[in-house]
Formats: sequence, C-alpha cells, structure tokens
Amino acid sequence: MTAVYSSKVDLQAREKALKILYEKFREVLKSIMDGNPPKLVIKKRTLSNTVYDPEKKLLLLGDATFERSFLDLREARKFMQTLLMASIIYESLTNGEYPTIRDLYYRGKHTIRYRKLPSKAIGEENTWEEQSESDSVIRDIEVFTNVLREEMLILSKEKGKVVGELKIRSGDDVIDLSKMGHGAYAIEPTPDLIEFVDVNAEFVLVIEKDAVFQQLHRIGFWKKYRAILVTSAGQPDRATRRFVRRLNEELKLPVYVISDSDPYGYYIYSVFKTGSITLSYESERLATPQARFLGVMMTDIFGSDKLRKKPYLTEEERKNFIIKAKERDIKRAKELREYPWFKSDRWQLEIDEFLTRKVKLEIEALAGKGLKFLSDRYIPEKIEVGDWIV
Amino acid sequence: MTAVEEGFKAISPAEFFYKNKELAGFSNPARALYQTIRELIENSLDATENYGILPTVKVSIRELEKIPEGGYYEVVVEDNGVGIPPKYVPQAFAQLLFSSKYVLRQSRGMFGLGAKMAVLYAQITTGQPADVIVAPIKSKHIYSFKLKIDIKENKPVILSFSVTSNLHGKHGTLVRLVTLGDWSRAKQRIYEYIKRTAIIAPYAEIGFRDPEGNYILFERVIDKLPPPAREILPHPHGVDIETLKDIIRAKASKPIVETLKESFQGVGETTARRILEEAKIDPGKKSGELTDMEVEVLVKTMKNFKDVKPPRADYLSYLGNEIITAGLNKVFEPEFVYATTRKPSVYEGHAFIVEVGLAYGGKVPLVEKPLVLRYANKIPLLYDEGSDVVIKVLNESIDFSVYEIEFPAPLVILTHICSTKIPYKGVGKEAVADVPEIEKELENAIRDSLRELRSYILRKRKEMEEIEKAVTIAKYIPEVANSLSKIYKVDPREISVKLLEILNSRLKTFKIDDLSNVVV
Repeated sequence: MTAVYSSKVDLQAREKALKILYEKFREVLKSIMDGNPPKLVIKKRTLSNTVYDPEKKLLLLGDATFERSFLDLREARKFMQTLLMASIIYESLTNGEYPTIRDLYYRGKHTIRYRKLPSKAIGEENTWEEQSESDSVIRDIEVFTNVLREEMLILSKEKGKVVGELKIRSGDDVIDLSKMGHGAYAIEPTPDLIEFVDVNAEFVLVIEKDAVFQQLHRIGFWKKYRAILVTSAGQPDRATRRFVRRLNEELKLPVYVISDSDPYGYYIYSVFKTGSITLSYESERLATPQARFLGVMMTDIFGSDKLRKKPYLTEEERKNFIIKAKERDIKRAKELREYPWFKSDRWQLEIDEFLTRKVKLEIEALAGKGLKFLSDRYIPEKIEVGDWIV
Repeated sequence: MTAVEEGFKAISPAEFFYKNKELAGFSNPARALYQTIRELIENSLDATENYGILPTVKVSIRELEKIPEGGYYEVVVEDNGVGIPPKYVPQAFAQLLFSSKYVLRQSRGMFGLGAKMAVLYAQITTGQPADVIVAPIKSKHIYSFKLKIDIKENKPVILSFSVTSNLHGKHGTLVRLVTLGDWSRAKQRIYEYIKRTAIIAPYAEIGFRDPEGNYILFERVIDKLPPPAREILPHPHGVDIETLKDIIRAKASKPIVETLKESFQGVGETTARRILEEAKIDPGKKSGELTDMEVEVLVKTMKNFKDVKPPRADYLSYLGNEIITAGLNKVFEPEFVYATTRKPSVYEGHAFIVEVGLAYGGKVPLVEKPLVLRYANKIPLLYDEGSDVVIKVLNESIDFSVYEIEFPAPLVILTHICSTKIPYKGVGKEAVADVPEIEKELENAIRDSLRELRSYILRKRKEMEEIEKAVTIAKYIPEVANSLSKIYKVDPREISVKLLEILNSRLKTFKIDDLSNVVV
C-alpha cells in the first residue's frame, strides 16, 4: 500500500501529524526513562462530558479528563492499545501509506502469550479482539493529540456523494462535479485536502436517502434549482459532514437537510447541525450549525392549526404512506425530546406530534406521491416560504 | 524416677477383667487387635519419652492362621525405652493391677493395665504365652521371658527365662504376643491410630509392617521431646471419697494430719490443721480410725477449702508449638501451620492444659467441615467424635466465615487436652465431656488460632491479587516497549527493563525477577 506518489498537501499533512504524534507521546517515554509510571491524560469521551454549547449551537467535548496509567489495572490494556495504535499510525505516516481503520485493526492485532502466576499456565490474549476496540483507541489518540484521523491520513469507508455545479481540486486533478453523468462524485475521506475552484449554486440540499438523491439527480433537480446535491446515504460519515460544513462555511451556501420523518431521521439532521455524542470532539470542525431541517416534518403530513399550515398529504395518501411507529421509535423520540439541542418550541411541537400520532413517514413515500411533487413543489415551496427548522 | 520405684501392688483378680473385657476395649477380635497394638505402642512411648529418650518403635503384625471369626496373629512391638528391670517383668506383664497408686501422673495408659489385658486376652484366645525381652538401660545383659497369667490366683507364671549378653549396649523392651484378631476389620483403625500417633509424636520414629506385607515408616522430624510428665500428689479440691478411703487405708496407723500432709499437694502443717479444724476432726486421730461420716465431711471440707494454692501444672506433659507444628507439617505438608498452648487451668481440682494446632492449605485435603484430630494426654481419640467437647465447641461457638474460611476448605484442627485426669465421657474413653472450664479454654485456643489463620488468608489473598495485577500489567510491557521504540528509535529492551523496574517498585509482596517469567 506504499504510495509511489503523494501530492504536496498530503506530504504537508503527514509531516504535521508526525511531528505532533512525536511530541505528544514523548512524555510517556520520558516518564519511563525517569523511572516514573507512564500515563496519558485524555479528555473523557463520555455522555457526561459531552456539552451542548448553546452559543455555538454545537455538541462539544467538555474539559473533564481522565488518566490512563499503565500501572492502573483497569487501564493497562487500554494503555498498551493506545501506544500500539500510535506506533502503527506513526509508521504508516512515515511510510506514506493511507490505511483505513480496518487496516489499522488488522495491522495491530496479534496474540500476546504469557504465563499466569503462580500456576504458570499459559494464557493467550489478543492485543484487541473487535475492531470497536481499535476504533476506540483511534478516537482516544485523536482527542489526546488534537489531530483528527483525516489529518493523520487515515481513511474510512466513505459513502457520501455529491453533484452540482462545483469544480474542485482533489490531489493534482481538477474535477467538475456537474459532469459526472448518472454517477456522482464520491466525497473523499480527507475532505480538508479538497480545494474549491469554482461554484455556481444557491444552496446545498442534503438527502439522507441515496435512492431519492439519485432520483433527484436524474431529473436534473440541481440544474433547475442551482443546487449542490449531497447524500449521506444514512448516518453521515465524517467526510460528508466535513464537506457539507466547508460548503456552508467557505462558499456561504445555505444547507437544507431532508430525512425520514421519525426520530432517527431527526437525529441524522442534528448530527449534521450540532455533532454526534460519540464524536463530539470533532464537532467544531464537522458540524454545520446553520444547517436547516427542511423535512419531512410531522406537520407536513398532518398540517398544523397552530402554525396555520396545511398538510401536503390528503387523508387518502396518509392512509397509504404512513407507517405505524414501533416501540423503540417512541422510546427514541422521548430521548430526543430531552436533548438540549431539540429543546426549541418548534422541535418540541414536531416531536410531540410524533408521540401523539405514533406514526412515521419515509422520504420515499413523498417521491411515491410523485417525483415531480417532491422536486417541483415540496422542496422549492418549503424553501420559498421558509418552512424549515434551525 | 523409673517405673519400678513407684510402689507396685497387687490388688484385684485377673478373672474379673477377663469377664469384663469390654471395659478395656477387647470386646471382639477386631477391637482386640486394635487395642493390643494401641496399648503396646502407648507403653513404648511412655517408656521412652518420659525418660528423655527419643522413641523408636517397631510394630509388626503377622497372620499365622485364618479362622472364621478372623485369624491368629503374631504381634510384636519393640522400643528403645528404659527397659523394666528383669525382676519386675513378670508382675508388670502378667499380674493385673500391678501398678503405682495414689500418686498422679499424666500418662497414656489409664490403669497401667492395658499391656496386661493384651497378654491375658492372647493367652485366653490362643493359649500362647507372651514373650517379653528386656534390656534395661546400661544393662550388660538381655533378659528373655515366656510368661503366662495364672488367672485364678492372678499370679505371673514364668514358663522360661534366659539371659544373654548385651553386646551392643541396647536398651528397651520387646513384647511378642500371639492373639486372636481380625485384621481386615481392624486395618483402617490401626492405620488411623498409628498415623495420628505419628502426628502428635513427630519426635518418634514409628515403623509398621502389616499382615499384607506393607511397610510404612513415620520418620522422626524433630529431636525435641515434650517435657516429661512428673508425678504429683492429688490436689485437695480433686479428692473423692473412694480415693481418700484408699489413702487412709494405706496409712491407717498415721495421724490424719500427717496423712494429709504426705498425700496432698499444697497441704502443709498449717493447712492440714485448718482443714481438720473445719471438719471438726482431731488432727492426732489415726487415719484408719476415721468413721465413714468423718471421711465424708473431710472430703467436703477439702473440696471447698479456699485457702490453698491452685493445682500445680508444671508436671503436665504438654507438646508445645514446635512439636505440634512439626507433626502437622510432617503428615499434611500444609502451607500454613500454627499451634498455641494455653496457660494451665483447673477444673474440679485437676490441672489441665489445652493446645490447639491448625494446618491449612498445601496438601491438606479439601473437606466440607474441618478435619478434627482430637488428643487427650497424647492419645488419639478416634471415635465418638459427635459427643466430644471439641466438636461441641466447633459446632456451637465457632463461625468459620468470620475467619474468611469457606468450606470446602483444606483445614485440619488438632486439639490436645492434657491433664492428670481427663474427664472422659462414658467407658469407651474416646470422647471428652463438656466441662465448662475445658470448653472455655478450647474455645479461646481455637479462636486464637483461627485469628492467625484469618490474617494469613487475608495476607495471602492480597498477595494473590498483587501477583495477578503484576502479571496483568507485565504481559503488556514488551508491546508498550516495542511501540515506543518504533517512534523514538530506542532499544525496546531498555524500555522493558525500565518498565519492569517501575512495576516492581510498586509491588509490595511480590516481584517479577525477569520478564521472561511472564512473557512467553
């Protein structure tokens, strides 16, 4: 996997990451050589240390830290894993590689054989068992070094796609995102290394569902409405979130998000907007606080007397398209209702409506009513009248 | 003082004992074989350790003929004891109740009777005489006897007698009997008895050859003997009517005040006179002339007389920490052993000492309740465990969980009660009665020992936890060292050595000498 060629931005990123890793872990070596128990002081990545910053409207990592000491029985294994992972990342940076997190998992996984005392029986233990273990120490290293994995040239499998009138430079190539045919540009794992060259668009539309994205792409929605069309294909990955953030921040384009009308869909929107609980340490770079939730709203389906809003669906259509909510949907909605970033009146109204009606609706159902309804009425009309939630 | 100077005296007919052989433990062939072995071994131990000789006892049982009720066996027990002077041998082995009287001494045999019962039983069941060979200490000769008992007359009959030169300066006694027994039914008992004897007498070497040709040798593991049991006069608080009558009969012509002075410990001229004054008896009255009424009043007065020193205990033969732990170590190879000897205490005018030993872990088998080894005056008590005071204390007063012991556990509890008079329960003499004073001493000694065990268990548990911790961390050292060496180009071995040093410096009870002990 040794790269025979690296672009200049890559090389710079590598050198920067190597230097920080070298500096940050030197404390550990020094401790050992001085005869002191080595330890790492890392910010806690727990729900309790995840803070919603109402000013920035972001989910951020708090200031609470914990000590991962090698001599602490509960932390010894994690300490070993953290150093093992650091050395693997360091080596792959030196070698000019682009490992995925799965690669790192395999590269570090091996068996430690040891003798139990006093029985002297042989014990075996893997450096890590599941990829979740190695992923977890990657996150710890990101927090400890304050360098994101993308900046360490670690790739993850990205599924985000984009089309629209946008020219970018990726590596040494300039790519025109309006000339992708029926396909789309796959957002690269290191979106920070992308350079925006030229843009002609008025807004960004993020579609949770890949199928609906493709439908809108084929009927030329982005051309007609001068949009940049993005899909996260489900839960958004880091690259997609970072890319959307850059579109908003650097190109000053408003971002609209469309997801299913259920608590999971709402949460996907909030991940774009405020960040996720597990990756709160990256929110400042990944979240788009200005992102607008366009739909699908409960009030789109049923209308609202309070908002003086008429429903987009008839009684008959509702019968065909809506699905009964499951027990876990209800439970999730009740959790969502308590998150500070869902505490606005507008969101409480939507969630309460969901809890009252106990039904959900997928975006595909709106496309099912007619693709034209979705592309030429529902979306443009809602943007036009400003029927979105921030 | 040797056995022969104790004033032997013939009292009671052999016939009585034969008719009441259950009393002495000869009720059936199996029991008789066991009892024969036991009596002879106990005589041998008394004849050695009480005279400062480290015992070497050789025991063999050979089957001569099988018969429906068992078999005829030749039993030989040989020791390196003082050896009875030849002129006393016939009485000592072939005349019942030839024994010292009116003085007390802690000894294994109860009446000085056991060996004679064995001889008598052998004679009755097989018609064979007993062979007794003695070599008294420093004697130039060895004396061999063939003896029988004239049952009607209770007199020894010497069938043959010979003298040979003691060329090698040997000393000791050999007894050979041919007797009715039942090895297959006595086997387990006899082995258990010998094993338990070996535990409490680790200063003895005991060899045993059984009728099946097996040989087992319990080697001597300690050269220290318990202090010898010495004779002591009875204490006034421990007197009873029969004993007092025996005493005044023996000293009939002496004034009672002299008899009291001569016959009881702690009683001098003043005390004797005060006792008699309280009992309203003329001190000058001849002992033999006391009426039954006066004897009764005198006993009562003596028992309740306050102003007398408590019974002396310095003549008791206790084992002490060293011997008990040596015995437990030898037989059980435990990882923890502890023994405690309580200060002497008194019940009903008799001094006693309680000792307790514990063995835990190691090769001690796991048991659902503690394996209890009971001893009284160094004799193992094998039966009637359920009614013994030790079991009562263990069942009613000891909560093992308080001492961090959860059963099944590898735990042996040894108890030893020594006294001039062991308060046995029933005629079997296998269980000690629950006398409150003894119960209290046992409880204290057991608790004291268990507290020691508890701190050992806790210490050990801590150590185990620390070892576990050390391994948990140490196994990652090479991984951490390699990882750092990849970034900083430092020799990973150097980092490993440092890390191990840091780890060891934080361990209190355990160190890892070399990483290769943990990392494979």
